[in-house]
Amino acid sequence: MTVSDQPVHLPNGGSTYENGVHEALLGDPSKLTQPIKDVKDKYELLPAFLKVRGLVKQHIDSFNYFINQEIKKIVRAKGNERVTCDTDPNFYFKYTDIFVGRPQVEEDYITTGITPQACRLRDMTYAAPISVDVEYTRGKEIIVRKGKNGVGAVVIGRMPLMLRSDRCVLKGKSEAQLAELGECPLDPGGYFVVKGAEKVILIQEQLSRNRIIIDLDSKGQVSASVTSSTHERKSKTNIVVGKKGQICMKHNAFAEEVNMAAVLRAMGVESDQEILALVGSEPGLAAMLAPTLQEAKSMGLFIQQQALEYLGARLKAGKQQYSSRRTRSKVDEVRDVLANVVVCHIPVHQFDYQQKAIYMAVMMRRMLAAMIDPSLIDDRDYYGNKRLELAGGLLALLFEDLFKRMNNELKRTADNTLSKANRASQFDAAKNLHVEMISQGMESAISSGNWTIRRFRMERKGVTQVLSRLSFIAALGMMTRITSQFEKTRKVSGPRALQPSQWGMLCPADTPEGESCGLVKNLALMTHVTTDEEEAPLARLAYLLGTQPASLVSGFEHSSRGVAMVFLNGSILGIHRRPKRLVKEFRRLRRAGRVGEFVSIFLQQDSVYIASDGGRVCRPLIICDRGAPRVTSEHTAKLKRGEWAFNDFLREGLVEYLDVNEENNALIALYERNCGPATTHLEIEPFTVLGVVAGLIPYPHHNQSPRNTYQCAMGKQAMGNIAYNQLNVFDTLLYLLVYPQRPLLTTKTIELVGFDKLGAGQNATVAVMSYSGYDIEDAIIMNRASLDRGFGRCIVLRKYGTVLKKHQNRAQDIVQAAGIPSGQSKATGRHKLLDVDGIAAPGEIASPGEILINKLVPMSTKDPLPPNMTSLPLSHYKPAPVSWKGPPGESCIVDKVLLTQNDDGHNVIKTLMRHTRRPEVGDKFSSRHGQKGVVGAIVAQEDMPFSERGICPDLIMNPHGFPSRMTVGKMIELIGSKAAVSSGRFHYGTAFGEGTGLADTVDSISKTLVEHGFSYSGKDQLTSGSSGEPLEAYIFMGPVYYQKLKHMVLDKMHARARGPRVVLTRQPTEGRSRDGGLRLGEMERDCLIGYGASMLLLERLMISSDQFQVHVCNHCGLLGYYDANVGCAVCPSTKSSDDMATLKLPYACKLLFQELQSMNIVPRLKLAEA
Amino acid sequence: MTTLGENRRLPHVQIRELKDDYCEFLLSDTDPSVANALRRIMQVEVPTIAIDLVEIEENTTVLNDEFIAHRLGLVPLVSNAVSSMTGVFETAGESGFMDVEMTLNVKCTSDETMEVTSNDLQLDPNHPEVCPVGYSHDAFDPEKKGILLVKMRKNQELKLRAIARKGIGKDHAKWIPVATVSFQYMPEITINRALMDTLSEQEREDFVKASPTPVFRYNNITKQVETDHIEQYHWDGEALAKAEELGKPGLVTIKERQDMFIFRVEGTGVLKAEDVVITALDVLHRKLYTLQTSLPEQDDVAPLPGVQ
Repeated sequence: MTVSDQPVHLPNGGSTYENGVHEALLGDPSKLTQPIKDVKDKYELLPAFLKVRGLVKQHIDSFNYFINQEIKKIVRAKGNERVTCDTDPNFYFKYTDIFVGRPQVEEDYITTGITPQACRLRDMTYAAPISVDVEYTRGKEIIVRKGKNGVGAVVIGRMPLMLRSDRCVLKGKSEAQLAELGECPLDPGGYFVVKGAEKVILIQEQLSRNRIIIDLDSKGQVSASVTSSTHERKSKTNIVVGKKGQICMKHNAFAEEVNMAAVLRAMGVESDQEILALVGSEPGLAAMLAPTLQEAKSMGLFIQQQALEYLGARLKAGKQQYSSRRTRSKVDEVRDVLANVVVCHIPVHQFDYQQKAIYMAVMMRRMLAAMIDPSLIDDRDYYGNKRLELAGGLLALLFEDLFKRMNNELKRTADNTLSKANRASQFDAAKNLHVEMISQGMESAISSGNWTIRRFRMERKGVTQVLSRLSFIAALGMMTRITSQFEKTRKVSGPRALQPSQWGMLCPADTPEGESCGLVKNLALMTHVTTDEEEAPLARLAYLLGTQPASLVSGFEHSSRGVAMVFLNGSILGIHRRPKRLVKEFRRLRRAGRVGEFVSIFLQQDSVYIASDGGRVCRPLIICDRGAPRVTSEHTAKLKRGEWAFNDFLREGLVEYLDVNEENNALIALYERNCGPATTHLEIEPFTVLGVVAGLIPYPHHNQSPRNTYQCAMGKQAMGNIAYNQLNVFDTLLYLLVYPQRPLLTTKTIELVGFDKLGAGQNATVAVMSYSGYDIEDAIIMNRASLDRGFGRCIVLRKYGTVLKKHQNRAQDIVQAAGIPSGQSKATGRHKLLDVDGIAAPGEIASPGEILINKLVPMSTKDPLPPNMTSLPLSHYKPAPVSWKGPPGESCIVDKVLLTQNDDGHNVIKTLMRHTRRPEVGDKFSSRHGQKGVVGAIVAQEDMPFSERGICPDLIMNPHGFPSRMTVGKMIELIGSKAAVSSGRFHYGTAFGEGTGLADTVDSISKTLVEHGFSYSGKDQLTSGSSGEPLEAYIFMGPVYYQKLKHMVLDKMHARARGPRVVLTRQPTEGRSRDGGLRLGEMERDCLIGYGASMLLLERLMISSDQFQVHVCNHCGLLGYYDANVGCAVCPSTKSSDDMATLKLPYACKLLFQELQSMNIVPRLKLAEA
Repeated sequence: MTTLGENRRLPHVQIRELKDDYCEFLLSDTDPSVANALRRIMQVEVPTIAIDLVEIEENTTVLNDEFIAHRLGLVPLVSNAVSSMTGVFETAGESGFMDVEMTLNVKCTSDETMEVTSNDLQLDPNHPEVCPVGYSHDAFDPEKKGILLVKMRKNQELKLRAIARKGIGKDHAKWIPVATVSFQYMPEITINRALMDTLSEQEREDFVKASPTPVFRYNNITKQVETDHIEQYHWDGEALAKAEELGKPGLVTIKERQDMFIFRVEGTGVLKAEDVVITALDVLHRKLYTLQTSLPEQDDVAPLPGVQ
């Protein structure tokens, strides 16, 4: 230990370490060899973590950062702050501050606060006004307008608000207060309500910006690339190997690859020696640089001017970036391009290229090093190279674009207005802001999901999705979803594969199957996504800790041995001679809370990287000193007593966040028993590698891995409770279970996310046996009595709504009460349901085709109404009713009716139709282990097998489902649930939990079973219900949590004998929704041809489809027609009725002939006697 | 009676335990088919009374109409009057009545959550004997709280008319009169004495211990293995496995006796357990009578009790 390693005296972080050293040197040596004690209730850290962070904290954090900080930065940015005018040099309009207010809406000139629930019901946008403080000129005077209390003076638009963000009314509300607002306390928030629809901005994954990536290009050559991104510009710079082995730069601003030596020279690094010094003077590197320098020499590029000319000649034509009024020399232009476009994230002041030259030299150096040692090539799929873009970041991009557009618009108006000499009134810029631009731009982007950022030429589709409210878990799963920008069609496995660096950050199980497999991912339970953090203090700190600014040391020192280059967010800060110490000190400061908790620092090869940028994924870990966890049982006891929260652990330096890169500098032990002297960190709980959705599976570590993936997809389709306010919402489609239960076999995740309060399934007693043959191919047999008692019963609620529009000509849509036929007391027929207001009355029973809302629309919406006319006579309306479409024979109940008004002042009518269903043959069910099946038969209870206790199963599952699926977890769930019901205690099946007591072991379960008189194996002796004879085998029977999935036969069954036809071809329509026919396809046709069933073929393809009778003239071969005057068919050309034949052909064939004729092709039919 | 032939048996019933809601009896000298028929009839063919039709006048609770109707249907009703009732598809008898009409009319006026239970049902004044199981007006005894139907908040109201009818479990599970009904085969355990003698004392004791149920007993005096509490045998196969392990397959043989069954009937309170059994026998008898009278050559038909 060197003297310099004396610990810095810090209040908290350092002391533990110091004690450790002290003890190691002077303490009892036997203490050092003591086994490491398990930290009791270490698991309690997780609920504490979720309490502060929540499951969707990443979304809310990022949005809060946007509305509190980033939006101000945007407004303060160079190009945005000030609007000037070309025609009046005195004019300016300056933003001094910007604020996002509280959610409110202005109706009839009255501003009122709004709640998310009101927005959902009224189809409004949950948004808050954006207001600014401004300073501008009006005529000769300067006007300063300032608001107060966090509200600006001028409103420039409305910002859709994220639920549970800082400005949301739900923030910090108690359960009772939330209920008051009509909100479910278990709802995580993190989404938007736009025009009544709940929209989620999915997390977007992309390659990190402003970082050098060494990669292989298409030719298999090593290349270095960096995607630079600043507020104004985005550009990608590549350094590649040219044809002659020279190193070139490839950039969009240049028409071809340009010599790197020339680029450096143009930046002022003139001599070969300087270049060599910067890039690296080791013999190996120097030799590889030779071709580059030689080429530069052969082209005669020796001084900066020559290099600039060389580059200027290769500048892409038409790339006039700057004011086109002045024509500048090519050299000036190249200077500008090098300063502002190439590697634009490195700022260049006053054309001092030094920083940039060093940066580009480092790129070259790393590239050359990778050519010598291919192991230095970066992995694009490595998760440390990825950044997650969240709602806040995406909205910031959008807002800046819209803000710029609004300012341009203001400038245009100012230009136009101020150029006119005589104006009636003074030009007041604050009154000429296009307020709608930002409001509408934000609203339409979120509601359509199309992100168009003009300045980056970015065009992204599907950024937002409608929050799936199929089940509580579906909604929660959506909030943790990550989509990749990678194209789905490309057949590469790399980006789809599970990367080791995703450990603990992304759920290994939760990904869809099929085309987006591996591209759509989900966050793990404890993952946090960072937001941007101020760089300047970090840079200052790094300098204080001994970093030497790169510009102050010579190039040779950059690459000398033992010296590390220090990077901050991808830019070079300088060099450090004791990198390990820098890293150590830095971490100590972070643990002491002097540096932001999400700042990461790590050492890789000979570079130190400090990262404080947003979008990095990180997770908390317990810090260990020489393998001894800093968190002890005393700490967790404090946590349990409620004295400490999770943040206290951070503050005390016991727990810290590590991002993917910093994890590479750590040795993380899974359990206390794995701790060794080199261990730096300890996992909080192993089951947090899984995400929210996979966390529902009991014993997932006993299952074959794809089964867990299947369950992750199915858990989202399971019916259950959606939220506490589920009966007060008007969703288009809502599936609810009548008697949802919480699983007997739970996991810790289930308790943490609240699935035990909003379950989606029922504990069914399952017998694993074969029964009746109606259980092949995963079909299940159900007990009729169980269904009678309410098992699997569900409520389907569907919304039928309409908007009563106000048209341009002041005419309005109206709702009209149905006429009552004489002699009747109520309306009849299709109007049976209607109340006096013309809307179906709640509680009425509807049959298919009956009208729910008797809407009438005016025939003319354009022609102006006659004056003094408030309403049109009924004859000027045509009916546009909303009717219930349901399967024939079914009936449905009008559950609720809502009359309200939306944002635009239109009246909105919504009716909710309710249908209660009991399971029927063909409905889909699944357990929590990816084992789905349809109901194959429903059997009476007396026919079901029974045990001597009189227990008979609710459900029979075929044992063939087990061997190939290898879902051992399901078997353990079965015996575990059986033990749970018999002992009256919920059992646990948390992933990897047996070791830490978070899952019951099979041994203890078996013991419980035996105690309660069951076989330890979970098998029972059953007697056949139909014959009364004992079954020959013992039957594995017990409760298993079964989910009812949304796929039900009632919604899918379809048959047709005769029905609608397409007008054009007269063939039957396609699809269930149009009552279409069932297609006899090409392959089926081939079968019939092969078999020779010609008459069947004719019947299927023509007679049952589009048979048509035509008349053909035997002379000319053209299709004739029936002439009613003559009373017989005639030839189209001669009009004679001689020799006309009648035959039947498909209407499509006749259509083809006529279409050909219209193209001047004459199809003639030559007929022969059949 | 001679026509029944040589296979004729005279079944015996030995009642072992009899409580209002539980009955255990031994049925012997008959076939599994008869035992199973009896079980099936007890389960689904003994008529009881349950709410079958609900007319809802006012429902402002959180649960929807069909939800409440379903819950009402599952409320067990004391069905002692079922014998004097007529089912929907039966021809009306002289004194038979079809419907029992109950009403429910509750409104929550307090700020606290109100629980509507089966005790809130108002009985049919004509048939007060048809009431929910455990029906009482003792509001303070938590044991007699009644069956929860729905919870209400202030100003919610539920007003309905519920018509109870006679029915059988085949039509809907709400008419099933029992919680569980099952029978168990009486095991027959024979110990091969000769083989047992080849075992050491220790082995014999081990053998006895291997069985999780006290089916075998080691007699300390005679040093012999004896059978005990035979009917507690679980069909677990542990003793057989132990015999196999000791290298003595066939040490014991365990068979189900085909002529002796232990019946266990657990009632729901709708009918007394013994009534369920007796009615089931009655139904079985009636069925056999119908079958017998429909057979072409009928002679010597035992008259049905009560008929003629």
